[in-house]
Amino acid sequence: MRADPGTATPALSVVHEMRLTWRYASGTAMERFLAGLAERRIEALRCGGCGRRYLPPRPFCGRCRLRLSDWVPVRDEGTLDAWTVVHLPIVDARTGEPRPVPYGMGLIRLDGADTTLNHYLAEADPDRLAIGLRVRAVWREELRGALDDILHFEVVP
Amino acid sequence: MSVAVAGVGESGPALDDPRSIPEIVLEAVEEALQEARLGFDSVDAVVTASVDLLDGLTASNIAVTEVVGAVLKPETRIAADGLVAAIHGSCLVRAGAYETVLVVAHGKASLGPYWELTSWALDPIFLQPLGLDFLACAGLQARALAEDDAAAEQRWARIAAERRRAAAAHGVAPACTAEDVLASPAVASPLRRESCAPLADGATAIVLRAAGPAEPGVHLGGVGFDLSPHALGERELTEWDGLRRAWARALAVHGTRPTLDVAEPSCVFAYEEDLFRHALELDPGTEVSPGGGLFAGFVPVAAGLSRLAAVVRALRGPGGLRAGVAHGTWGPAGQGQAVAILEAA
Repeated sequence: MRADPGTATPALSVVHEMRLTWRYASGTAMERFLAGLAERRIEALRCGGCGRRYLPPRPFCGRCRLRLSDWVPVRDEGTLDAWTVVHLPIVDARTGEPRPVPYGMGLIRLDGADTTLNHYLAEADPDRLAIGLRVRAVWREELRGALDDILHFEVVP
Repeated sequence: MSVAVAGVGESGPALDDPRSIPEIVLEAVEEALQEARLGFDSVDAVVTASVDLLDGLTASNIAVTEVVGAVLKPETRIAADGLVAAIHGSCLVRAGAYETVLVVAHGKASLGPYWELTSWALDPIFLQPLGLDFLACAGLQARALAEDDAAAEQRWARIAAERRRAAAAHGVAPACTAEDVLASPAVASPLRRESCAPLADGATAIVLRAAGPAEPGVHLGGVGFDLSPHALGERELTEWDGLRRAWARALAVHGTRPTLDVAEPSCVFAYEEDLFRHALELDPGTEVSPGGGLFAGFVPVAAGLSRLAAVVRALRGPGGLRAGVAHGTWGPAGQGQAVAILEAA
């Protein structure tokens, strides 16, 4: 028998709120990547085995099983590899508030990288988005070495 | 067919390691592979142990997929103590499924409030609302043991001091005396701060390989594990009967009862050594935690696998030791128990 959540007595459901804090170490590769963002510099890590230029940078190539240390420059402009327009609001980790919908989300292959980067798109009209479009980063005015130094990507006219 | 431990590698235990989990894990993996004289390509399958709640990440193995060489390979993830991962890995080898299996466990206690996090691993209806955590559960268990044993607290203080002294050179906490232990603040009466192993960060990796029974090296013999009821009220708290059952299974797999030269229990609290000795009916001649055991640094999840690595090192050492036992435990007050016999061939 299933209780209708709307009519369930308090005894049938115990409300639980989880508030916990973890402190992640970003690792030396991400440390350098984030520091670069503060200077509007994007860098990828290139694998000496397969030549893949990983962005975000990975310290280790899972395919070649090699440590990576060869940093290569990446432009802040690239190609849209996939996109979607989100209509269900999520909590924006940067503000703690629901992000206004609709908004565009893209997989962007920056010039100089072989993997794609997830990021917001300035454009949220499905009729104006297409795979293969050229997009470029819109930087925040005051850079602080964080992922959201890039606000979103806009379509290059 | 036998299962040999071809290589062991460890990172830590360390206090507040500034590195990321993949960086810590890679160090242990590279060391284990180097010892086994194998490259990543020789590894047929990977078994990892990690706990989402501790890592603040669901499917916490995704953080280490690359550095354990599991990309494009069969990987199994165990959300329990690392010794269970080793047992699972040994089953894969024994079944003939894979020849070489890499087993990796990691824990980073500095990432979050460890004891507070353990509260979330308890039953949410009855126990969490009381604010209970694994430390309080251990306090209840220790009290049940101390109630009719006036000498218990003094004995545990001596055990803690002895382990701390043995671990001081390579551990994360300095040596201290039994008096220091008894004078340290109570954390969950009768447990005192210094009678608990210090939390630490680290990773352990081992390479298991199919081997002939007489092939030189350390072999993984009988293994067993067991899970008791979750609720403390459904258990006899004054013993680790789950470990007794796990040990009986390990002996049944092993075929004979070996003379144990060394035992490496996963005792986070000094009182647990009493439970361990009792469950295994340990011979007084068996040396327990010669390097101080977890009092060198308790790395959650990796603890049991680090005990296996410690036994391997002891059996490889110049002492001519023949057999040892490694132990792992997880859950509140020793709910989960795992044990593995290791022998030098």
